[in-house]
Amino acid sequence: MFADRYDPLQDEMVSILTPDGCCDETLRPDLDDEQIRTMYRQMLTMRLYDRKAVSMQRQGRFGTYAQMEGQEACMAASTYPLEPRDWIVSSYRETGAMWMHGVPLKLLSLYWMGNEFGSHMPDGVNVLPVSIPVGSHPLHAVGLAYAGKYRQDGSVAVTYFGDGATSEGDVHEAMNLAGVYEAPCVFFCQNNQYAISVPVREQTASPTIAQKALAYGFPGVLVDGNDIMAVYAVMQEAVERARRGGGPSLIEAYTYRLGAHTTADDPTKYRDDAEVEFWRSRDPLLRVQKYLHARGAWSEDWEHELLEACTGEVEQAMNDAEAVPQPPPQDMFRYMFAEPSAALREQEAALLAALQVQQKG
Amino acid sequence: MPVEAPSAEKLLDMYARMWRIRLFEEQAEYQSSQGKVMGALHTYIGEEGVAVPACAHLQDTDYITSTHRGHGHCIAKGADISRMMAELFGRSTGYCKGKGGSMHIADFQVGMLGANGIVAGGFGIATGAGLAAQLRGSGQVAVCFFGDGAANRGPFHENINIGAVWKLPVVYVCENNQFAQWTPQKDVTLVTDIANMSPAYGIPGVQVDGMDPLAVYEAAGEAIARARRGEGPTLLECKTYRFHGHNFGDPQQYRTREEIAEWSDNRDPIKQLAAHMRDAGILSDEQDADIQNTVQEEITAAVRFAESSPYPTPDELYKDVYSYDIG
Ligand SMILES: Cc1ncc(C[n+]2csc(CCOP(=O)(O)OP(=O)(O)O)c2C)c(N)n1
Ligand SMILES: Cc1ncc(C[n+]2csc(CCOP(=O)(O)OP(=O)(O)O)c2C)c(N)n1
Repeated sequence: MFADRYDPLQDEMVSILTPDGCCDETLRPDLDDEQIRTMYRQMLTMRLYDRKAVSMQRQGRFGTYAQMEGQEACMAASTYPLEPRDWIVSSYRETGAMWMHGVPLKLLSLYWMGNEFGSHMPDGVNVLPVSIPVGSHPLHAVGLAYAGKYRQDGSVAVTYFGDGATSEGDVHEAMNLAGVYEAPCVFFCQNNQYAISVPVREQTASPTIAQKALAYGFPGVLVDGNDIMAVYAVMQEAVERARRGGGPSLIEAYTYRLGAHTTADDPTKYRDDAEVEFWRSRDPLLRVQKYLHARGAWSEDWEHELLEACTGEVEQAMNDAEAVPQPPPQDMFRYMFAEPSAALREQEAALLAALQVQQKG
Repeated sequence: MPVEAPSAEKLLDMYARMWRIRLFEEQAEYQSSQGKVMGALHTYIGEEGVAVPACAHLQDTDYITSTHRGHGHCIAKGADISRMMAELFGRSTGYCKGKGGSMHIADFQVGMLGANGIVAGGFGIATGAGLAAQLRGSGQVAVCFFGDGAANRGPFHENINIGAVWKLPVVYVCENNQFAQWTPQKDVTLVTDIANMSPAYGIPGVQVDGMDPLAVYEAAGEAIARARRGEGPTLLECKTYRFHGHNFGDPQQYRTREEIAEWSDNRDPIKQLAAHMRDAGILSDEQDADIQNTVQEEITAAVRFAESSPYPTPDELYKDVYSYDIG
């Protein structure tokens, strides 16, 4: 049990696959080379999607986009142990995790293009829409988890949030409730060390985020978030624990956002190149590549094949999304209430009138 | 740094204050039963051993924030019981000119920043006061009193977190009386010891017997001194018990008479302090009777003051709502 053996108060971090691609055999999880190759491909897809998304935003074809480069291992490995009946409740930086759990890239692209239908999840895909208000959604995950427990459907809810979100009162209330109701919930904190420009050391005086679990009476584990094996192993344990009625866990995945906070941010204003370079050398994809290479399970040819296939997949999704007609402006007033309020109806009428004037002019 | 034991003079003062709270609350309950008190009444009876020894380390220039159960904090910090009683009676001589009632009593002259009808409403105020003190470099300290129920609310978390990051001179004092209204603590949180939540904020967590005024005096003294030295907040949990209902009129079906008696008969903080002072030769029977009589007279005078004061007039309704007049 990682939760028993790794004490966050001692700053102990679960690490299995080192930055140079060596695996700690004593801790190796039950992942064979084929599975690791699959996860590598998934991480690569996320990386390519991310880069393409930034370029789309620069061309005015995406809205503001939250980048995930550097955090791919967190998303690929934490979703790997999940079953379709499990829930994902995430913030804006988990495009990869949502995709892993069944949301098509086309829908995710629609979302970033500003189309409400991007949040219309396909039937059977247990993923809530992106939550922009920081720290608001872990409460929803606890509700879903508690519902699963109440219905005894064996589902687990996983919620993703950042280091900054841990300072929000809602996150405290969510964890406290999950603890006392023994809700099958996993709190997955991606500590990418910044909340926009605020470094985590200015965010909290607690040396680790994992140790915050002590305040709620459930386990907290610190894990190397750039290590797919460690994230997978720790997550698998937490999910199993929740599924068999053992209650919630908090996982702190220690990682780094290599890109900007969003396409509207300039990180050079608050961190230096040397720091970014250091974390580039700890790129989560690179270490999997090294690992597979050493085992004869990676080649340049395969990499090229993957690049081509994944790029095609990403471009196809974005093109498909662009082919979806733009929603009419009146859509702004829909979907908030079953019955729009008088004020909304008034605003809608005003907008339509203005548009008509514009068209005539 | 060890906390110096309280002098005989200090002990006598603390003892009198604890009686002042006890008798004030008993009188308030009686007056409430007579229909004289406007609005809800949450008494501090049984918890006197927390606020009094904690505030014994504070000057008028230091700050406290309080809760819906605020009379004890007011009296411990030196508020005027006549104006308090008048406020309960809804009279214009009260702290809020009779328009606020029990849960809004504040006295900035003595650093009492206010009772609060919102559970966990004091955290932001105390933390802000601590930030102000830090920015002024004035050496003032803020003490934030709150209940175990309040610990489950977001403001607890947000304020202690930022207080810890900024090393603010604030002491967060949890009065863990084991119930939030009628809900036992174990129904709403897995962690029964609030002090054990301190690792989440990287600050010291200290637990103390809140029925033992000397133990609280020592623990609070250490935490307050630490805050004054600029070393940041402490989470101080005082295990305590309210002897009466959550509010006046609470039928208390969620706990047994035996449980209440166990605490009120054997662990009463006033009796404990009296016993200690007698052992130390500081308190004679005569002095004890004197103190209680004097306090009783103060309370009687407070009631007389309240009763003889006028009610606010209707044109007062829109005054004191904003800093400018909206009348
Ligand atoms: C409640 C709220 N406050 C502020 C913001 C503005 N905001 C957007 S992202 C962000 C930082 C969040 O940081 P963190 O939780 O560490 O997540 P990360 O962006 O690093 O993934 C802030 C302050 C917001 N969206 N919601
Ligand atoms: C925000 C808010 N929610 C609910 C209430 C109703 N309420 C009044 S007192 C109380 C219980 C508070 O318990 P605790 O903090 O333990 O203080 P205690 O009464 O035990 O001193 C509640 C829920 C309130 N006043 N404010």
